[in-house]
Amino acid sequence: MDVSCKKIRTSALMTLFGVMLAGTFSLTTFGEDPRLDIKNLEALSKKASEVVDVNLDGPLLKLASKFMTDEDDREGLEVIKNLKGVYVKSFTFEKPSDYTPADVEAIRSQLQAPAWSRIVSVRDKREGETTEIYLMTEREGGKVLGMAIIDAEPTELTVVNIVGPVDIDKLSQLEGKMGIPRLGEQTKEQKPAGHHEKP
Amino acid sequence: MNPLEDKLREALRRKAAPEGFSERVLARTRELAGPPVKFWDRLRAFIARPTLRWAAIGLCLVIACSVAYRARQEGQRREGEMARVQVKQALRIASVKLNAARRKVQEINRGAPQSSL
Repeated sequence: MDVSCKKIRTSALMTLFGVMLAGTFSLTTFGEDPRLDIKNLEALSKKASEVVDVNLDGPLLKLASKFMTDEDDREGLEVIKNLKGVYVKSFTFEKPSDYTPADVEAIRSQLQAPAWSRIVSVRDKREGETTEIYLMTEREGGKVLGMAIIDAEPTELTVVNIVGPVDIDKLSQLEGKMGIPRLGEQTKEQKPAGHHEKP
Repeated sequence: MNPLEDKLREALRRKAAPEGFSERVLARTRELAGPPVKFWDRLRAFIARPTLRWAAIGLCLVIACSVAYRARQEGQRREGEMARVQVKQALRIASVKLNAARRKVQEINRGAPQSSL
């Protein structure tokens, strides 16, 4: 009796382990993890005159949401409610040659179809600016799983990676609220306060 | 008078104390009282009482726990405030970039010559 119980327990554990392993495999191997590897950009910190580095995983987002009690924070709270992570790297350089296309390509290469789809790509040849917005959606149901923004300007490079079901409309509506200026109000000097580094 | 009364009177008759009796009593009293106890010794003896010792240990534990709890709360509050600032900063950047791209697309749709989608 004991032996058969042990066998059942062992097989149940093996099945559970197999399911977990398969889940991990399907998430990582087939590129369904909306978390991007943006570590390669860390080397640019040395060259940049200004660095904004935001790394917020699930527990930190939960903690932050507990402190977002102002009326002004309500809409931001709505946006981050179900997110699993928010990662931002933004660099401002003195010279246009301080970052290379390869730095951007290393990020872009992770944003491949079918997992990711590019919803916006704007290239301004005259200004030398490129903005790309990518979305990862569920294959069935179309639920948003993550978002990535790459904004490459001659002296500025910004990568935003949002992990989780982000509401793009709500996110864009934040402009003009929560201390977020409307475009045109923001000048280059008006970088957000907080996690700034000035080497 | 009967002999019993005589005996009683004899027994209860006032007698003078023996020579040096009062000095001996005083000396003995001093001996029993011992040397005068200092304040610190008295305090030490008071503290050495087991009940008081346990009470002091308990009080110290309560104070240490409350200090640790407050420090933890303060640390969490600081961490939370920092995370809140970071969230606002991230949302600000994401929102601004998103809307900038949206505006550029709108410009292109309106037929601005310098941009291409």
